[in-house]
Amino acid sequence: MADTAISNNIRKLRFFHNEMTQKELAKKVGVTRQTIIAIEKGHYPPSLELAFRIAHVFESPLEEVFSYDPKKDQF
Amino acid sequence: MSFQEKNITVTLVNFTLILAYFLIRVLQMAATETFTEPNVFRLWVIIIVAAVVVTIAATILTQIVSAIIEVIQTGDKEPEIEDIADERDKLIDLRGTSITYTVYSLGVLVAMLTFAFGQPPLIMFSLLIFFGVLAQIVGDISRLLLYRRGF
Repeated sequence: MADTAISNNIRKLRFFHNEMTQKELAKKVGVTRQTIIAIEKGHYPPSLELAFRIAHVFESPLEEVFSYDPKKDQF
Repeated sequence: MSFQEKNITVTLVNFTLILAYFLIRVLQMAATETFTEPNVFRLWVIIIVAAVVVTIAATILTQIVSAIIEVIQTGDKEPEIEDIADERDKLIDLRGTSITYTVYSLGVLVAMLTFAFGQPPLIMFSLLIFFGVLAQIVGDISRLLLYRRGF
């Protein structure tokens, strides 16, 4: 369940990329598996740099991986 | 549980034991009327040295235990331990440090107030070390909670 205004399709994208594991994705973007889990669950919004790195791994544009819901933003 | 979480847990347990030892020694001194300058400052040194040694030992111990667990779980002879600190780890550490400093600042204020209201300086020095260790414990608990929550 997402805690932040940013949601993502990482789980789906991992599945469509030869069922890439969280550990493999973590290694490719230089973070721990726990951080990937937190991002996937929507508990942690990644930095812009990490978001771009994840999008680059999936060869997708950023908005295909992450989406922003202004209604959920507590700003 | 990540390497960082394990490391914080080990440090938390050790600092809790240090705090317990400190409180027992202070109460013993108070009961036997040996709450004197040499005894209190000796206790200061013991606590500070123990805190430094414990912090280093905790990291080494966590590394060894993590490697053993990884070997048992995967059967891999060259285990891969995720001991990197990524952006989330750094942010959590930053928040924990902020909480530690806040608690310690309040502790220093309380310690100084006891002196200002006429208590002997030894009370102030004892409270300074007490709040130093307590602040570390509170900071570690908050770090663990942030890890459990995600961030």
